[in-house]
Amino acid sequence: MIKLQNVNKYFYRGEPREVHALRDINLIIEAGEFTLFRGPSGCGKTTLLNVIGALDSCDSGEIFLQEREITALSEGERTNLRLHEMGFVFQAYNLIPVLNVEENIGFVMRLRGFSDSDIKKRVLEVATLLEIDNKLKSLPNALSGGQQQRVAVARAVAAKPKIILADEPTANLDSKNSEILIGMMRELNEREEISILFASHDELIMRSVTRIVTLIDGAVADDYKQ
Amino acid sequence: MYKLILKLAWKNSFLRRARVLLVIIMIAVSMSMMLVLEGVYDGLVKNMVDKNKRSESGDISIFAKEYRVNRDLTYRIKNADEIKAQLQSMKGVEAVVLRVKADGLLSTARKSSFASLIGIDLKEEEHFGKFSEFLKEGVIDLQKQGAIVGIELAKTLKLRIGSKVVFSTQDTKGEINSIALHVRAIVQTTNIGLDNSAIFIDINQSHKFLGTTSQDAMQIAIRGEERELYEKLKRAFPNLDVKEFLELQPMMKMMQDVMIIFNSVTFLIVMGVVFIGIFGVMYVSILERVREFGIMISLGMPYRYIRAQIFLESIVVGLLGYLGGAVLGAVLLIYLERYGIDLSAFSDALEMWGYEAVIYATIKVSYFTTTFGAIITASLLSVIIPLAKIKKLNPIEVIKADK
Repeated sequence: MIKLQNVNKYFYRGEPREVHALRDINLIIEAGEFTLFRGPSGCGKTTLLNVIGALDSCDSGEIFLQEREITALSEGERTNLRLHEMGFVFQAYNLIPVLNVEENIGFVMRLRGFSDSDIKKRVLEVATLLEIDNKLKSLPNALSGGQQQRVAVARAVAAKPKIILADEPTANLDSKNSEILIGMMRELNEREEISILFASHDELIMRSVTRIVTLIDGAVADDYKQ
Repeated sequence: MYKLILKLAWKNSFLRRARVLLVIIMIAVSMSMMLVLEGVYDGLVKNMVDKNKRSESGDISIFAKEYRVNRDLTYRIKNADEIKAQLQSMKGVEAVVLRVKADGLLSTARKSSFASLIGIDLKEEEHFGKFSEFLKEGVIDLQKQGAIVGIELAKTLKLRIGSKVVFSTQDTKGEINSIALHVRAIVQTTNIGLDNSAIFIDINQSHKFLGTTSQDAMQIAIRGEERELYEKLKRAFPNLDVKEFLELQPMMKMMQDVMIIFNSVTFLIVMGVVFIGIFGVMYVSILERVREFGIMISLGMPYRYIRAQIFLESIVVGLLGYLGGAVLGAVLLIYLERYGIDLSAFSDALEMWGYEAVIYATIKVSYFTTTFGAIITASLLSVIIPLAKIKKLNPIEVIKADK
């Protein structure tokens, strides 16, 4: 469970160009939820994702992951938290170009110290699920955009994190690939009971998620389950 | 984990092959040139030291007190034969020779010059310092009033093989005495003092001429590399003047120091080049991959792993450059150790300074170990600034920039 209490975030604080990016955000995201943060550009959805994902800190308020408060963690502790509890899917795939698909998928698992045999087994499992098991030895630049994003999802899922944060994962994909990817993520969400949080304004994602949180000017304007 | 870091470092090292290859070649070539310079410098000094030891001073020389200040026959060692026997039985002593010396005037029919008469035992000198290797012209033979002269002295007096000369000096009684000699050989020792003024005759002849006995000698020269030998001899002969090589040849000490400075400066310049080369390639390589590092950090990769990866990448470049330089340098040094650099075109100038026209290099393991240490250090230092940039990296900015 993720709990946000009165979370505020400012950019350029104290300067004339100050931006109040998140305003008194109060949210509870239960384990296994398939949630979308939506809203117009600049509404704070990516900032909210970054704050939940411990990539960024908030200026006031508290964030709890399970029962643990993560707002006051040091840089090193945040890195460690991301490694052990989170998975990330970015808009631009962001695979490591010198590693092949198998190595990219197993990257986080290797950082976490899983054994070679566990990594191999799990990589094959998620790759099969995401239908990229025939590309394991390929380098990322030999794959299509859709395949690369599936590798990114596989990397995020492989180490079985509690939460996956996906920022505009379909922005660079065509509708067919987007549909396949979201379908696969939905399946992973159900099979592995991983909370998946999207920041996107993709209609396809909107139709697929179970909960939609709408942000406007950094504040929660609407929050409903479907 | 370290397998992954090694893999990342290795693969990233060759991401821009042409650029990395150029830096590796640059390191290899500059390092091999430095090794050659070091080897040649050392070879030059080693050769001079070796010839000086063999031709004159040995590793240690013993004189009567005062002799080196006042080169008078009065200050001679009067029980030299006993001391020689004693020395020959000492551990660490490899060879001992007695020499009788007297300064005087060497004359031909037309010219005269200052000269130092040195009475030697040819057989013993051969064992002591391979005297025959100094032969430039003629035959090494001191029988029947034969004499061997230094090359510069021969030039001064326009001596040839077979020339007749007369050497005049005061004998032990203070009377001026002369001896007629035939030049049988001309030697070149590259010991400036000897080449300019030495005239070698048989030691028994010199005793007869100067009025000394076979028990007398002005110098007892000793070969023996043991460090303790000098202290041992000083303690054993407190009434004599025991001097080690560098005390007798302060110029050699100075030259050794100058060569160390030369080598150090060359070393620093080459390491500077290595540092700049690796810094340049690593700086660009890291800046090109800021996004990649940002992603790794956002995925939870601790900074220490990224630091290890970058250090490894720079070490790979440095190490490959080192290996290339070591192989090329070793090949060149082996060639120069065997065949030398022939600078006969400048032989006059070189010989004037005591150098040989053909310079042979030396090879020491320390050249390679020191360079290895320095290249690894330069490799590690060269990524400190790029690493500082990565440490300040905000992954959110990288991800944002990506959109």
